[in-house]
Amino acid sequence: MALPNLKDFHRPGTIEEALALLGKDEETLVVSGGTFLHGLEARGLLSGVEALVDIRRLGLDTVSDGPDGIAAGATATFTQLQAVVAAKSAAWLGGLSDALEYPPVQVRNTATLGGCVAASCPFFDVPTALVALDAQVNIRSAEGERQIPLPELFFSLFANTLEPGEFVTGLFIPQATGKAAGAFVKLEGNANDLAIVNAAVQLTVGPGRVCTDARVALGGGVADTVVRSPAAEAILVGSELDAATLRAAGEAVAADIEPLSDHRASAGYRQATAKVMARRALERAVARLA
Amino acid sequence: MKNLNVVGQSVERPDAYDKVTGGKGYPVNVRLPGMLHGKMLRSPYAHARIVSIDASRAEKLPGVKAVLLPRDVPQVKFTPVFFVPVQAPSMVLDFDVMNGETVRYVGQPVAAVAATTPEIAEAALDLIDVEYETLPAVFDPEEAMQDGAPQLHADAPNNVAKNPSFQFGDLEKGFEEADYVFEGVYQTQRVHTCYMEPRVCVVDMDRRDNVTIHVSTQHVFGTREKLAFALGIPESKVKVVKAPYIGGGFGGKLELTAMEPVAALLSKKCGRPVRIEQTRHEDFITTTRNPIKMYLKTGVKKDGTFTARYARSILDCGAHATHGSEVIMVHGAFGIFFNYHAPHQKWEGYTVYTNNMIGGGYRGYGAPQGSFAVESQIDEICAKLNLDPIEMRLKNARKQGEPHPFNPAFTLATYGLEECLRQGADKMNWPAARSAPRQEGTKKRGFGLAVHPVWVSGCMGFPDIYEHSGAIVKINRDGTADLATAAMDIGSGQITTLCQIAAEELGLPAGAVRMSSQVDTDTVPFDAPTHASRVTYSAGNAVKAAAAAAKKRLLEVAATIMEVSPEDLEVCHGRVSVKGVPDKSVTVAAVAQRAESPFVQMTAEGPKPTTMEEKGTIIGVASQAPKSNPSPCAAQFVEVEVDTETGEVKVLHAVYAHDIGRVINPKAAEGQVEGGFQQGLGYALMENIQFDGETGACLTSDFLDYKIPTALEMPRRMDTLFIETDEPTGPFGAKSLGECCVITPAPAIANAIYDAIGVRFTTLPITPERVLAGLGKL
Amino acid sequence: MKQLITLEVNGEVHELAVEKDATLLKVLRDQLGLNGPKRGCDSGGCGCCTVHVDGKAVYSCMCYALSYDGAKVTTAEGLSSGPDLHPLQESFIEAGAVQCGYCTCGMMMSAKQLLDDNPHPDEEEIRRGISGNLCRCTGYAKIVEAVKLASER
Repeated sequence: MALPNLKDFHRPGTIEEALALLGKDEETLVVSGGTFLHGLEARGLLSGVEALVDIRRLGLDTVSDGPDGIAAGATATFTQLQAVVAAKSAAWLGGLSDALEYPPVQVRNTATLGGCVAASCPFFDVPTALVALDAQVNIRSAEGERQIPLPELFFSLFANTLEPGEFVTGLFIPQATGKAAGAFVKLEGNANDLAIVNAAVQLTVGPGRVCTDARVALGGGVADTVVRSPAAEAILVGSELDAATLRAAGEAVAADIEPLSDHRASAGYRQATAKVMARRALERAVARLA
Repeated sequence: MKNLNVVGQSVERPDAYDKVTGGKGYPVNVRLPGMLHGKMLRSPYAHARIVSIDASRAEKLPGVKAVLLPRDVPQVKFTPVFFVPVQAPSMVLDFDVMNGETVRYVGQPVAAVAATTPEIAEAALDLIDVEYETLPAVFDPEEAMQDGAPQLHADAPNNVAKNPSFQFGDLEKGFEEADYVFEGVYQTQRVHTCYMEPRVCVVDMDRRDNVTIHVSTQHVFGTREKLAFALGIPESKVKVVKAPYIGGGFGGKLELTAMEPVAALLSKKCGRPVRIEQTRHEDFITTTRNPIKMYLKTGVKKDGTFTARYARSILDCGAHATHGSEVIMVHGAFGIFFNYHAPHQKWEGYTVYTNNMIGGGYRGYGAPQGSFAVESQIDEICAKLNLDPIEMRLKNARKQGEPHPFNPAFTLATYGLEECLRQGADKMNWPAARSAPRQEGTKKRGFGLAVHPVWVSGCMGFPDIYEHSGAIVKINRDGTADLATAAMDIGSGQITTLCQIAAEELGLPAGAVRMSSQVDTDTVPFDAPTHASRVTYSAGNAVKAAAAAAKKRLLEVAATIMEVSPEDLEVCHGRVSVKGVPDKSVTVAAVAQRAESPFVQMTAEGPKPTTMEEKGTIIGVASQAPKSNPSPCAAQFVEVEVDTETGEVKVLHAVYAHDIGRVINPKAAEGQVEGGFQQGLGYALMENIQFDGETGACLTSDFLDYKIPTALEMPRRMDTLFIETDEPTGPFGAKSLGECCVITPAPAIANAIYDAIGVRFTTLPITPERVLAGLGKL
Repeated sequence: MKQLITLEVNGEVHELAVEKDATLLKVLRDQLGLNGPKRGCDSGGCGCCTVHVDGKAVYSCMCYALSYDGAKVTTAEGLSSGPDLHPLQESFIEAGAVQCGYCTCGMMMSAKQLLDDNPHPDEEEIRRGISGNLCRCTGYAKIVEAVKLASER
């Protein structure tokens, strides 16, 4: 496999240089870790690409933990984020920690946070976990920087909402407040697989273990993009998170998804197991609240 | 059983050092000076007439050195299957390298390019203009058999390429005698061997038609014969270089494909060597295990005794019959018909053309499909009639000493099936495990078993199949020996096993026999392929015979040195000694030095002649067919856990007991069984090559879409048991192992799933989605 | 037009002119003649191409070579030098973890990453550590055993 029409492989050293290159009138793609691009290339889907812009020399490869949350550069790898998450050892980061465990070590060492969200691929694991964490995406263009909630980056299957000339520079994961815990679970064909269905949840409880905030995110072909389940969240908020509530919340995700059928699974199977995955993620998170 | 010195020891693989330090010996690493790179243009249509091909734009692309079109390729039809003669009457002779008129599956090669880089060759393919006229396609074999279906080959009415049958007794009478009759339909899927090294070759063909080929193959002589035929040149013009080892085969590199002749013809056009390395996508659409649908009807007495069995098997061979001509036979014989006693039996097989990809060889060769039907149905019978699944099988199984079911000239001289079942059951703690209260909740556990009663150690006795093997054993002056054979090591340890057999026969220590890594079809005797579980038994017997011939000469030379009769000598641990007088001995090295020393030797007293009769390299050569075809057998037990909310199935524990005769190398044998289980587990639960129902294009042609078990899907407990028997016709009592261990995992797992959740699955793979549907939750 | 990069491979520095879309795997195999990294799928699915880049295991078939200008690469050939083998190489031989051997070099590089991070992994950690590498011969049992053996040395 190859990129038969590739004319340039740029390795800019500054953000300004990168922006200038992205502004050119060429079929241009941004390369970060490159794992997703190689997947597309191997399937012959990048034959029209004329230029690649490698953004790994822009100094965007740091992960920093601050009082407001975790800031990660676009080219920071899963492994780098994993180290920070592991060091914090916090229940509220449980879902992200779970999700980062799934990809094989070679992918964790290569795939980057910017790449995994910009791909707008619902079958990935880390974006689902990031949606449950209310992560924000930093986007740069020649006009300046903007920050949007992660779900707003996803337009549809493999299509993001970036404007021409824009690229993702980083992510921000806001620090949880109060007593919070998260969890992520995944249904996969083998241990090196895209998700058939995955689910990430984030729960916050107040006095008396009443749920004050809940986020339920689902991915893996339950829709064109990673989605939230407002129906499930509504059931959870205000409840005491007992088994019956978790079950009801799991059942409720059915209303918020529109699963795909493909050679990996039918829509019906995804519909049925999304409920199970959501409930299991909730159970796992509740266990972490204890 | 007699104690031996080298055989029976887990000696280190001689090739392992090379492989952990980089592995230079694979054909994929062959790089020749001036080498060009070839790529094939493949049909995007499942069925079409080629109207025209115009390659003029491709020829002009800088870097392109040659374009090959169908008109440049000899239009001959043959069987590309290595283990039969190229025009074998029992095979369907329908394969051609590059058909200029019709394409019959998505991926059929229609043109090829050689260029200075693979990327340029690939780019050139886009510049070849092919005009097609699409034709109606058919993908389901039973639809293909209907009147009015598209006809794929003119001489195959209703698309039936082959229609063999076996029968004995009176079927009607047998069913009348039955207390119960069970009927079922079992469907198996298309799976890939997933060898890790891709199909690859480097071919140099000169203008006088001398061909040298380096290729990842399971059979150097089969490659020679079929390639020569495809090119229309005498066999002796083709030299196939035997690679020291290849990156897996499992039956998947057992036939000529378009790759080798295309590379040869491109090479001849360019006057330079041409390399073709297939992509993983190309490998996925080149050959597969044939899917078979089986209609199985069995009559039984109340006590479980079979009275009659009838089966009809429909094999989807895809666009060309190739292996489908033979898989159907092996499937009928060893997958269904001969496994158990039944007084009245009939089996009918249909090898049917469709516009799917071509089927091929894969470990088990028709038996895994048959075993899934037979062993699943036995489980259904046991459940319904409340019979013990072990005793029920033994009641119908063959016994040691009976005539071989396939060829009554042979005997089941060693047959440890009952011990396999008894010891396997003990290891699984079978009765207690089966009757223990099961944990409730959403995950349910179950236990299952399956046996494979009759299998092969090669092909002796089969019509049209090559079986003989050859070997050359040469004793070196340092007391070691070199072994040369055409038998390929495809990963399963053939080098190790054959060297152990030679060392044992020669009385040399383990490690003193080395497999020669630099041989080709010009220099070693013919050998049948590494397939049909045959190498340890058949090639092992030839190696033993060659070593015995070398030993005979060794003892003759030693006898002149020691001034005794050769009959009074024996050789052990590298020394030749007088029987019963271990002190009176010489080293093998000393004998070999004497044999190769100059005839007249200078001494203090002047030149002195030695003995003429002792001169000459000590060498032994053998080329022979084996005496028999003994049956290994196996019993498999598994414990599974079914997640009743997601349908996921986990195998927790697997016990696999085999009678493979004497075990030559226990660690290597365990490795075969454990690896066989990985393939069987994948077959049972996840592997499935899928196609677009409209276009016939493959949807699962990489490891993202085609799932095979990783280390995490494998059971944490795997117990491998060997019930050692002493096969009188085997080398040091050995039979065979390669395939037996891949046959039973699917039915054993299906039976365990039934035990866990009470749902019977008759279609493979048993995916989570099928399980959930079976539970009524979809 | 090719572009120049520098790679340090198994301790040796190379200046290389590489195609713009060339992968690290292609450069290591076709330009440097290494055999340890192997192509099994070219799409990050099998792990046969696993090498270490700056001490981290990666699928070299998924890395554009131009992105790795200045990197330090270790392949299976670089695991040991001189007469002694690396403990993983020894244990793979000893445990019978090598059959066709095509996955072996990549498998050892993943195992090395695991042992670098976690010198005494348990069985589940070993299985997860090598889950990005496929083997079709062994059923993984003896590979798991080999990694365990190496971890004890």
